[in-house]
Amino acid sequence: MELARDLRKGASLTTVLAPVAGAAIGLAAVPDPVFSQAMVGPGTAIDPRREPGTAIAPISGTIVKLHPHAFVVVGDDGRGVLVHLGIDTVQLKGEGFTLLAAEGDHVTAGQPVVAWNPAAVEAGGRSPVCPVVALDAPAESVGDVVQGDVDAGDLLFQWS
Amino acid sequence: MAADAEAIIAGLGGADNIIEVEPCITRLRTEVHDASKVNQAALKAAGAHGVMAAGNVVQVVVGPEADTIASDIEDIIG
Repeated sequence: MELARDLRKGASLTTVLAPVAGAAIGLAAVPDPVFSQAMVGPGTAIDPRREPGTAIAPISGTIVKLHPHAFVVVGDDGRGVLVHLGIDTVQLKGEGFTLLAAEGDHVTAGQPVVAWNPAAVEAGGRSPVCPVVALDAPAESVGDVVQGDVDAGDLLFQWS
Repeated sequence: MAADAEAIIAGLGGADNIIEVEPCITRLRTEVHDASKVNQAALKAAGAHGVMAAGNVVQVVVGPEADTIASDIEDIIG
């Protein structure tokens, strides 16, 4: 069982797409220790463009958790990617976020999941920075992390 | 491995010490009566990835199972 899992891990490479447009700045720049200290996994963060936008699925898979301000997509290989739209945005209780998919839906990478406005989040006094996390992944398994400008749907990092 | 709800309650100083537990997608945001009763080492042993305390607000980082763990805790403490 364990061996089969290792073999599968060794053979797979997950391409994680940028869920939003903006500047990829790295997790260390996120103003929240859960993300900046990579407590839930490695990855990066995107400082989003301050315009109404749509967060897309970073990988293909099932939406196992969907909150207005955050979601988790788990691929068929069991790997989960978390997208968190802004920091402390749970406090907004969904205001300003529109769900474009439902928990339990199967989505393909690039499919719209949540519409939101980073400018409105910032105007409310919160950071709109979006951590994108390879949940529970070993730090060294995340590579080719893009820095700088990305459009939604661009390659963000590889998870080996 | 999912964190253990019973052990998290104990690490937070027991059910009587817990005012509120609110799940965010990666963490439990809890408010306690007495922060000195919170045992960070016990919370980590219970499966928490990390613990952040500011006054009486204690955030227990448990990963994406936070929702499930929070409802387990609420079921136990009523």
